[in-house]
Amino acid sequence: MTQAPTEKMTPTPDPARPHPLRAENLTVAHGDSPPLLEGMNFVAKEGEILGILGPSGCGKSTLLRHLVGLAEPRAGKVILFGEDIFSEGNRSLARARRKYGVMYQSGALFGDLTLLENVSAPLKEFTRLPPKMIRDIAFLKLSLVGLEKAAFQLPANVSGGMCKRAAIARALALEPGLLFLDEPSAGLDPITAADLDELIMTLAKNLKLTFVVVTHELRSIMKIVDEAVLLGKEVRGIAAEGTPEYLARESPAPEAIAFFQRGKK
Amino acid sequence: MAKNVPDFRFEGPLEGGLFVLSGNLNAFTAPKALLVRFGKAFGGLSRVRLDLGKLEHLDLNGAAILIALMGNLGAKKIDCGVQNVPEHLLPIWELALKNHPSPETLREPEKPDVVTLLGMKTARFLADLRDLVSFLGETLTHLLGFLFSPWRIRWGDFFALAERSVVNAIPVTCLVSFLVGLILAFQSAMLMQLFGVEIFVADLVGIAMIRELGTLLTAIVLTGRSGSAFSSELASMKSNQEIDAFVTMGLSPARDLAVPRILALTAATPLLTILADFTGLIGGNIVMISMGHPYMVFWEELSGHVDASDMATGLFKAVVFGFTVALIGCQRGLYADQGPTAVGEATTRGVVTNIIAIAILDSLFAVLFYALRW
Ligand SMILES: Nc1ncnc2c1ncn2[C@@H]1O[C@H](COP(=O)(O)OP(=O)(O)O)[C@@H](O)[C@H]1O
Ligand SMILES: [Mg+2]
Repeated sequence: MTQAPTEKMTPTPDPARPHPLRAENLTVAHGDSPPLLEGMNFVAKEGEILGILGPSGCGKSTLLRHLVGLAEPRAGKVILFGEDIFSEGNRSLARARRKYGVMYQSGALFGDLTLLENVSAPLKEFTRLPPKMIRDIAFLKLSLVGLEKAAFQLPANVSGGMCKRAAIARALALEPGLLFLDEPSAGLDPITAADLDELIMTLAKNLKLTFVVVTHELRSIMKIVDEAVLLGKEVRGIAAEGTPEYLARESPAPEAIAFFQRGKK
Repeated sequence: MAKNVPDFRFEGPLEGGLFVLSGNLNAFTAPKALLVRFGKAFGGLSRVRLDLGKLEHLDLNGAAILIALMGNLGAKKIDCGVQNVPEHLLPIWELALKNHPSPETLREPEKPDVVTLLGMKTARFLADLRDLVSFLGETLTHLLGFLFSPWRIRWGDFFALAERSVVNAIPVTCLVSFLVGLILAFQSAMLMQLFGVEIFVADLVGIAMIRELGTLLTAIVLTGRSGSAFSSELASMKSNQEIDAFVTMGLSPARDLAVPRILALTAATPLLTILADFTGLIGGNIVMISMGHPYMVFWEELSGHVDASDMATGLFKAVVFGFTVALIGCQRGLYADQGPTAVGEATTRGVVTNIIAIAILDSLFAVLFYALRW
């Protein structure tokens, strides 16, 4: 494992303000198969955009499933805002689930609800706002991702990119402190993708939201990602980590060279 | 979501309709009760100013709440505005202002009225019927083609499908048919005993099973078990764009997916029907035996009154029903819409159409055979 000089292995965090996400010695696997990724340590700090990079099939989505508590890790811990999400079984999981939003790779919108209702769903469930205000908020979120004109459509009747954007709006509905996005800009046109990058940066900077973003888009990585974790298939874990600039220019790890240099051509 | 920030509070009205907001305003810290109280505090004022200077934290949800509150005031022609937006909250405030919905954009698209709805339903029904007929034509063309080149049928698929959709249906079909035979015999025996003619139970069960019920039960079981499977299989292929891939590769979904299914069901349904007839008769015989008649009496009575034409009637209908069940099942699947609910919808529609089709066809056959004195 190559340790980036920029990553100062985060000295003991202030107990009153723990990091939104901390993975400790995390090992993930599918069922009984051999581990996909082993012994990973990384953190996402408040207001930071953490990029999870790596070739297709190396286990990025699988890692995300573990970070959000959909699967229990083979070993190690996932700590959200200072609390191990598996420490007390379902109770700690339920508590953790109020603190983050997730956008799944396939969008995962509810097919029988309109886009507006999809975004309203978490607000209806978890807040005590009047219905009209929930509508306004949901609409605002759709407008943020440029979908105000499609609010009353069903997911089946809009394009894949629009579903993806609506899924981001839904993940943003409650404005949780931590957001997991699985390939948010894949399948979007460059203009929409750039707008989305802007949005993510504004939210991170001004609301101090923390983002964990799985992405392949080099342009987007260089623009928005503060710290990156590059996963490797051969090393079955973190191949390199650091800022995108470091990974792109200085990192000696062959995975980093392959990812950033070959990807450019 | 900043921690250690006090919840949202407001102070006012102060002089000149001024309200001083403080704390942390987001979707969780502004419950309905607080907002109602906030709304009431505006009562009777002609001018409202919200001072955000002391607000420590405001997210987009909080900003949306404030903007909505001001919208309500604006609608009542009350002069309202905000002041002192802190530097660090300005970008969020502006982002929220820019994206807040206007009343026009929030208007839901109009729902069609009853007449339009009726028209749309009728058009949909007719289009459905047209699709069904055109699919029937397409399959018949392919079947005719196969008649001249039977080696081009996918025999592997044919046998696999026949096994999966008919052979595996034997237990459930036989069980249902056996019980219906039993019930039929039992119910009629009660009545016939009054007249001392229980022996005719054999004829009743025999004719009913062989001409009518064996075929009908088989068709209905196959509709629920195999026709629905065809619909859902093909509909999910359609929503995964597998059908599109099929077409663009130059293959024909009707020829390569539907025809093997239709052939399999058409060929195997009569065989299943024979089994159903037989188990139904056994059910009838058991009732006869339990009433004290020897085992052979039932069969002897039957052989005197049930002939080959009864058998032929039932089997002919079985062929037609097998064809119909597979045809409609496949058509509903291949013509499914796309989207998450499409598979379920296609399956339901397939089953419903099939049951209606079977009922109509069976009535037509009843009239036809009566006219032909079969
Ligand atoms: N449910 C599953 N069971 C077993 N292996 C799986 C399952 N889902 C994915 N995999 C395997 O796990 C690996 C990582 O998959 P994934 O996390 O989706 O990769 P990525 O998101 O990085 O493209 C792949 O090699 C895939 O074959
Ligand atoms: Mg993935």
